[in-house]
Amino acid sequence: MTGTKGEKWFYRANGLILTLVGLSCVLPLVHIAALSLSGKFALAAGSVGFWPRDFDTAAYRGLFLEMPMLQSFRNSVVITLVGTTLNMLFTIMAAYPLSKRYFLGRKVYSFGVIFTMLFGAGMIPNYLLVKSLGLIDTYGALWLPGLVSVWNLMVLRSFFESLPEELEEAARIDGCSEWRLLARIVLPLSLPVLAALSLFYGVGQWNSFMNVLLYMNSSAKWNLSVLVQQLFQNREFFDEMANTRPDLAVILTPEGVKAAGVVVMTLPMLIVYPFLQRFFVKGVMIGAVKG
Amino acid sequence: MEHTGSPLPTSASAVRTKRKISKRLLRQNIPLYAMFIPIMAYFIIFKYYPMTGLIIAFKNYRFIDGIWGSSWNGLDNFRLIFGNDQISGIIWNTLKLSGLSIVVGFPMPILLAILVNEVRRSSFKRAVQTMVFLPHFLNWVIVGGIVLTVFSQSTGAINHLLDAWFGTTFPFLYQPWSWLAIYLGATVWKEAGWGMIIYLAALTSIDQSLYEAASIDGASKWQQIRRITLPGIMPTVIIMLVLKIGHLMEVGFDQIYVLQNQAVADISEVISTFMYKIGIQQAQFSLATAIGLFESLVGLVLVVGANRLARRFGQGLW
Repeated sequence: MTGTKGEKWFYRANGLILTLVGLSCVLPLVHIAALSLSGKFALAAGSVGFWPRDFDTAAYRGLFLEMPMLQSFRNSVVITLVGTTLNMLFTIMAAYPLSKRYFLGRKVYSFGVIFTMLFGAGMIPNYLLVKSLGLIDTYGALWLPGLVSVWNLMVLRSFFESLPEELEEAARIDGCSEWRLLARIVLPLSLPVLAALSLFYGVGQWNSFMNVLLYMNSSAKWNLSVLVQQLFQNREFFDEMANTRPDLAVILTPEGVKAAGVVVMTLPMLIVYPFLQRFFVKGVMIGAVKG
Repeated sequence: MEHTGSPLPTSASAVRTKRKISKRLLRQNIPLYAMFIPIMAYFIIFKYYPMTGLIIAFKNYRFIDGIWGSSWNGLDNFRLIFGNDQISGIIWNTLKLSGLSIVVGFPMPILLAILVNEVRRSSFKRAVQTMVFLPHFLNWVIVGGIVLTVFSQSTGAINHLLDAWFGTTFPFLYQPWSWLAIYLGATVWKEAGWGMIIYLAALTSIDQSLYEAASIDGASKWQQIRRITLPGIMPTVIIMLVLKIGHLMEVGFDQIYVLQNQAVADISEVISTFMYKIGIQQAQFSLATAIGLFESLVGLVLVVGANRLARRFGQGLW
């Protein structure tokens, strides 16, 4: 495939533009990582680019030893694992009946579910409900209100509908019950889409911010998002640490600590990212086909 | 649903068969309902029941009286909203920020998708996709953290460079126009790559022989993009635009909350952050609910209206 002269220039320019766009997505993170590993004087001089200067892990020591970073990390993991499991369980339980044409009242229920995408009670009534259920300051407040994402539910329903009906008929003739059908035939056939949805839910849970801010009053319940945001928003954390550990405060800067916080939050995401990538495009496409 | 499978009952035996079928149907439905009843409970408790809480928009809600016991005050809350310059300013800000996000942000994924689609080396294509999808998975705390770090006046990299080259620094985060530019830039940075996926999917459905034919006829790349690629993805573009317009009243809480500061409050305060401040932090539940209700209703009208419009192009969502 050799094109005309104009085409050659087009491809060259295109490659250049896309390289720049791609790098612009990654380099800011590299810069932050470099900041988090640089020494105090390099940070003050502003001489850190994309590689650490005066390599120093003080920021991380400060974060993990003197701040509730480890606790928040654990909270994030618990919120994500339990939340995602519940999300998947309930999304499957909702999608399977809705995908069956013989499910009585299917149209009404579908409408009832989709309508919640168009109109919702909003922040305050939801807050009052969570409060009246006594869920404030418990992770139930994070897990229960967002149990099912209607969008993900619709993706899974479309996928279930696309499975060949003959399989099901055959299993039924062999005396297979509805539950066994779901567990032994439908779910194993849906593994790619289930993986994609779990990853979407998992990312959402790991990244949850507003709900934690709304419902978790005690800082011992905070996840990484809220803790890192607090690092940026007020200096209290830093000043407190400076009081308790003057020796660390001498070698630490707020900039380094903040950058380290961002890195700690991003790293787990970067580790699962290659797996994410394998599945999420598929997941989005399945949703897109049906529209 | 169509009932193609069941012919009209013409005789007694047929009636009996039909009854048997419906009995079978009922039996088949038992496990489905066993599965679905918890789901119904979830939607009723967490999605529909809170809607009854919206009545406090027409009440003077006090916590000790509860939702039902609080006294009515008619449209007072709404009068307060629309009579108050600060609140109308906030509604206006919301529309402005989300409108500008659409103007700036909507074409980017389309442009990116077209460019990525033209890449011939698949390894390069994959590498670009890997990089541009990444920001979507970072939450606003991370994106906000990066922005605040890079644009900080005293310690940010940008200002260090400005200082080194021109001997001056600029408070990017504290001037309305530069804050707005940063806000829009951050939104594009985070979502443009991800938004491209849907268009890439649409691009794969274009018949490749069209390009070959056009190329043989001497059409330039630019002409091919304008005459083949763009019309080919137009249906998707329209659907996506409709969806975007439907959400015109929404500016996410997280993105404003992590980026805003006092100096730019005039431009950065939006409905969601304002609801949080007066509702949760100051416990003015009725007023906050009234604003929320207004937002939801306008949102509903916009989605339904946008869908009508899209249907005219034969691209309705429902």
